[in-house]
Amino acid sequence: MLTAGPQRTVAVTWRLSSLARRLVTLALAALFLAVITRRAEFAGLAAPALLLLVPRQPGRPPSVGVTLAAGADQVTESEQASVLARITGHGEGTVRLRLLPAAWITAGPPALGADGWYRLPFRVRHWGLRPVGTLEVILHDRWRLTEGRLTVSLPAVTCVPLPARLESLVVLSKLPARLGEHAARATGEGTEFAGVREFVPGDRQRRINWPATTRRGTLQLNTFAAERAQVTVILLDVSTDVGTAGESTADLAVRAAAGTAAAYLAARDRVGLISFGRQVRWISPAPGRRQADRIMNMITFDSGDGEPLTSVSRLPNAALPPGALILVVSPLLSLRLVEALRELRERGFATLVVDVLATEPDIGSGLAGSRDRAMARLARRMWRMEQDAIRFSLRELGIPVVYWDGRSSLDEPLAPYTRRVMVSRT
Amino acid sequence: MTAPDITGPVRPVTVPARPVLAVAALAAATVAWAAVPMSGARAGARPALIVAAACAVFSVAQLAAALLASRPGTARRDTGVYQAPLPGFIRRAWDGVRAVPWPQGLTVAVLGLEALHPARPWHTVVLGVVVLAFLLALHLAESADGPAVLRPQLPLIAAGLGLAVVSAGAAMLPAVSSGSGWLTVIAAAAAVLAAALALPV
Repeated sequence: MLTAGPQRTVAVTWRLSSLARRLVTLALAALFLAVITRRAEFAGLAAPALLLLVPRQPGRPPSVGVTLAAGADQVTESEQASVLARITGHGEGTVRLRLLPAAWITAGPPALGADGWYRLPFRVRHWGLRPVGTLEVILHDRWRLTEGRLTVSLPAVTCVPLPARLESLVVLSKLPARLGEHAARATGEGTEFAGVREFVPGDRQRRINWPATTRRGTLQLNTFAAERAQVTVILLDVSTDVGTAGESTADLAVRAAAGTAAAYLAARDRVGLISFGRQVRWISPAPGRRQADRIMNMITFDSGDGEPLTSVSRLPNAALPPGALILVVSPLLSLRLVEALRELRERGFATLVVDVLATEPDIGSGLAGSRDRAMARLARRMWRMEQDAIRFSLRELGIPVVYWDGRSSLDEPLAPYTRRVMVSRT
Repeated sequence: MTAPDITGPVRPVTVPARPVLAVAALAAATVAWAAVPMSGARAGARPALIVAAACAVFSVAQLAAALLASRPGTARRDTGVYQAPLPGFIRRAWDGVRAVPWPQGLTVAVLGLEALHPARPWHTVVLGVVVLAFLLALHLAESADGPAVLRPQLPLIAAGLGLAVVSAGAAMLPAVSSGSGWLTVIAAAAAVLAAALALPV
């Protein structure tokens, strides 16, 4: 059950309906022709229209009550949500509702439920704070001769990006000594079998491996891998945004960051975020549901409270605890970010880049001359070579770069690094 | 205050083609019925027929555009501040065309076309029925309602059609068709009544 807002009283503007205006036209035209041509059948032709106009009565309500209820305060991209509306005080007339959608909103047909509430379904096609639009209410009297209209603004809804799918996680070889769910190389009190060693006094007897003891003739003990948490910092690069809206590099980057954060937090890891946009903002790594909300808020909203990008010479230490895995989601178009990645690598952080550049600059599409087109081709080749050089230089530094197209699961590009642990050099 | 659960089924988004087709058929029938036979019509019938046909076409186009615009999920595309001259002119022209009350024009044109023909009372009454059906179908299509909403009007429509039939019968009487003055007076009174009903509410 949802909490509905208070009922609002909205004034209605009444006027003749289009049907009434057309009936008046028919009646007047027929009567005029009857007079001009002196043909009685034209006067009779006006009779149905005149009779249909007779029941029009004054006394329509000057205002009606409108109650709105939001289905949810927060929705995910492409997820169906609803606004509920109830109209009261309209008398015996009929009510028709229409949702006039704002940008990035796809509205569905309204439906009246048995409980008297109208359901206005809609989908938000792009993340961010989105106004839903306006609700148009059209009232007709019983005889369809007068028509009342009113519009009500609908509240904005917060739309979070659709998280990319990620099921297998990139795990470092060295994990900070905290309780977690990743099997570490060190032995400990986990559940994953690590090996067999000789029994020493003080070991638990329940862990004695009897088949191995029988074979070797001495007491052998099962050992298990320690379970540790990983610290993952997601570096979200939205400093450049190219491509068509909805599928741009920033869109892909925020979806990848949202999916990555959700997957690591679900594994009870500590996750932090550095947003590299107009400003550099960050959230220190922490586990839990509240951290997921904080990260999603930072991804979705540009609060403008960070450090200006031009004044930041290096990424903040507070957001980069030692031993953290740095997952960079970027189109790699910002040379400032590339420099920051080099500096990260020099500081010894295990870094992995998810490249989300799925578009190319539109060079020479409107050029007619063959010479101009050749120059455009050359420029495009130079741009591609420059991009390849950036990625090659990162790989040479030991920073793997994987490409994600925004449609498939993130598991596919990350597969080479999720099947085995990623060696950390710190 | 609590609102109900929203997990109920949502109807699929559909484009209402059937009402448009019905209105188009009735508009075509109206023009055709008023026009035939063109051979016996007086001068001016051909321009009136052209105007009526144009009004019929634009009425249907206007309805289709309105239904497309009000289709769920569609929003008018923002054209931005700057617009090329030709698309801007086409857009303004189309907005102007949509603002014209084409159904009223069709009504006046077909009645005028009928008046340009020799007196044929029964034919005129049938034309009135078709025009009324066109107007009601157009209203139903615009408001996306079913015919059931017109149930309260059925007695009035029946009474009106009865009066039309009576008038057609009266027109066939020699005394009335010869053109006595009382018809003019009655028609004028009825016009006053119609004008009073049309006053802004």
